[in-house]
Amino acid sequence: MDQAIEKLLASLWSPFDALEALIAGWLPGQQVAAIAAFAFYVLVLLAGGLMAVGCRNLVRAMLGLVLTFLGVAGMYLLLASPFLAFMQLLIYVGAVCVLIFFAIMLTKNTGEGEESKLPSPATAVYGILAGLLPLLVLGPLVIAGADRLPQVAYGQTDTRLLGEGLITRDVVGFELISIILLVAMAGAVFLAWRKPGKNKNESEAD
Amino acid sequence: MSTLTLFLLASLLLLGIGLAGLVTRRTLVGMLISVELMLNGAGLAIVAAAKCTPASDVHGQLAALFVMGLAAAEATLVLAMILVVQRRFGKVTLDEVSVIRADGKPAGH
Repeated sequence: MDQAIEKLLASLWSPFDALEALIAGWLPGQQVAAIAAFAFYVLVLLAGGLMAVGCRNLVRAMLGLVLTFLGVAGMYLLLASPFLAFMQLLIYVGAVCVLIFFAIMLTKNTGEGEESKLPSPATAVYGILAGLLPLLVLGPLVIAGADRLPQVAYGQTDTRLLGEGLITRDVVGFELISIILLVAMAGAVFLAWRKPGKNKNESEAD
Repeated sequence: MSTLTLFLLASLLLLGIGLAGLVTRRTLVGMLISVELMLNGAGLAIVAAAKCTPASDVHGQLAALFVMGLAAAEATLVLAMILVVQRRFGKVTLDEVSVIRADGKPAGH
């Protein structure tokens, strides 16, 4: 444990060692670009996340969420997984954000709703604690533990391998997510279904 | 510190921000946004761990795709739940829906 704390302190004092390690295995000419890209994406993540959590207007919060999705897509590109970056944009920005936008609009929660009030001081303190807890507990563990794993320099993943995996070896996962999506869709229709011929007051009364 | 550490710390950042939002938000829609943040962090952590270690990176990416599919299904269901709550209570704040009673009326009404 002492060793872990030492390592943590050392990493706090030498952030440039960390950045240098980030691009170990990359060509020297690309090192600066990799450092700049990683720092930029972390900034995008942070700004988008704070916007998504802090904005009192839920539409703005959703735009912050889009910013975070873009940052994560950039991280996937840095990890040499272009297919995942594309899927991130397609599924999250294209589908999930539209669903959230529908939820905001259907509940008329745009500007002057409940969310426009600031949280009470107690709630704010709980929120900050809840945010700091994983950072303080898991952060040192990650810093001390991740280096102990054997690490390899990575290249780009062949997208063809992903497709082949989905229809041969990992077909169970593929079928499972299909069923989950089907059940979720049917459940959503069932939940939101309003019987024809029943007006609003009756459905509220029963 | 290695590449893996940096990417894991970035995903940890998303987890922390998402948890803070989950606690401070008043409405179900705001909480849905926070949960999406945390799911993104999970996907990033899975892909980074699969890429930077000798583990199969195809499996890591497929797991991240699985998380994305689950997030889409979850968003669909939460949208339907929000609709039902809105119809029944008129609001989607947590204070409003924290009472479970057979007649469906919040206490004090």
